[in-house]
Amino acid sequence: MRLKEIKEALEAEVLTDNYDPEMEILLGCSSDLMSDILAFGKPDSVLLTSLNNIQAINTANVADIKVVCFVQSKIPNQTIIDLAIRDGITVFTTKLTMFVSCGKLYQIGLPGCSYLTFDDD
Amino acid sequence: MYNKDTSKTQELTYELKVKDAMDTDYITVNSSTTMKSLRDILKKKRILGVPVLDDGILVGIISIEDYVKCMENGRLDDIVGNIMTKDVISIFEDEPLVNAVRNFEKYHFTRFPVLTREDNKLVGIVSKIDTIKGILKKLEDAYEMNKESNKFPTRCLINELIADGTCLELKYFVEGKNFEKAGNASTRLKKSLKKLGISSQITRRITISTYEAEINIVSYTDNGEITARVNSDDITVIISDNGPGIEDVKQAMTPGYSNAPGWVRELGFGAGMGLPNMKKFSDEMNVDTVVGKGTTIKLVFKINE
Amino acid sequence: MNLKDIIERLDLKVYSGNTDREVSGGYASDLLSDVIANAKPDNLWITLQTHMNIVAVANLKELSGIILINNREPEETTLSKAKEEDITILSTGMQCFELVGKLYEMGIHGNGE
Repeated sequence: MRLKEIKEALEAEVLTDNYDPEMEILLGCSSDLMSDILAFGKPDSVLLTSLNNIQAINTANVADIKVVCFVQSKIPNQTIIDLAIRDGITVFTTKLTMFVSCGKLYQIGLPGCSYLTFDDD
Repeated sequence: MYNKDTSKTQELTYELKVKDAMDTDYITVNSSTTMKSLRDILKKKRILGVPVLDDGILVGIISIEDYVKCMENGRLDDIVGNIMTKDVISIFEDEPLVNAVRNFEKYHFTRFPVLTREDNKLVGIVSKIDTIKGILKKLEDAYEMNKESNKFPTRCLINELIADGTCLELKYFVEGKNFEKAGNASTRLKKSLKKLGISSQITRRITISTYEAEINIVSYTDNGEITARVNSDDITVIISDNGPGIEDVKQAMTPGYSNAPGWVRELGFGAGMGLPNMKKFSDEMNVDTVVGKGTTIKLVFKINE
Repeated sequence: MNLKDIIERLDLKVYSGNTDREVSGGYASDLLSDVIANAKPDNLWITLQTHMNIVAVANLKELSGIILINNREPEETTLSKAKEEDITILSTGMQCFELVGKLYEMGIHGNGE
């Protein structure tokens, strides 16, 4: 799925200047607990979180996740945005809740991270 | 313990595009072709279905099943255009192959026309068999490349140095209780591993584990140290602190067990996955802890595959 | 929608509490302060948290139930507290994204506002 379709479904606003509408996103994951993302997140996925701190970006970075969307109108501060840009991560914000964000993306056909399962899961 | 083979496959399915696996030597008919001549084409080429093209534009798809139905209804003089399926599900050449795999599952078709994204031109057909062949070919290439080079630049250098043992050591200091700086060591380590040419697979596993350890140092101790040793066939990460120590290591290794304070939980950590994640992503793990004195965790990641 | 239907359709494991309740909507969060601030009465709460405080939050906000994801089990103290206060705790092997996707498909479109 193209990143622009995700942006549209979430009615999201882009906060970084590295937005590539044609970027291919395969999976979705959502959590406010970063260890959960580290354990089950997959590369090339979009991370939905309401955890508005620098660790959301660090987690995406070490787990090779390219897009982070802050839900429920959470807007990260400039330090967080600068870090994301430095690490090549695209940041969105949406007014929707975590629940509605997951629901909408699932509805337009984005599967969850267990869609691709491997022995290490 | 981590299974590298499946991860490699995962990476390959992500990397492969539809165009890497599609068949470009395909037959087409047009909508004015009669069902009778369609039969001859299918029979001669021993194929089960063909795309229908008018002036280079994909207008439908027709299969042997359609032919059989026509035969039953005595419509063999009819033309393909009146019989074909017009609602064709196609795929773009630059989509990841994993999307094709998903479509096979979703629609229960065995083949899809492949189009260019710019002008919707038909450029090939992707079938289940092509997809499997494409993945196998890629695996073979990766295997050959590994065999031939069996290296990354650092390892070459390390192997050329004359000593009974060599390693490259990277050291990072971690400040406790400072959540703003947490992750600093792990992300710098990640950059360095990339520069050293370590694969993204292994780098991901190393930095995820190190990041968990770093978060533990920040959450529970005043300061700590992370040392990554790049050896010729493994990378060993040692994380040590002078913190309170872990009272019950077995319990701490249980996923979901946590005695993290509320402030750590509200910051997105302390869900009892730290040590389990380190174990999950490393090849070997050793925890040495003394209550009141501190903890040293040793993680080994093998790179000699 | 009735909680019983949801349990049946998504094959959820029941740990405690009354399952014959109406669900007004859904809320997914792992941050207790967020749930306290934003969840609505009779919402179904999706979380990874298993410690005792989830029972207190569910009670305070009069939630219709808690679904633990990723096969999480409630801690012993959590479970005994939940039974004592008649809080419904359920669990699933699904991750948050997929579970919420399925609930959304069933017609639960938010926290019911």
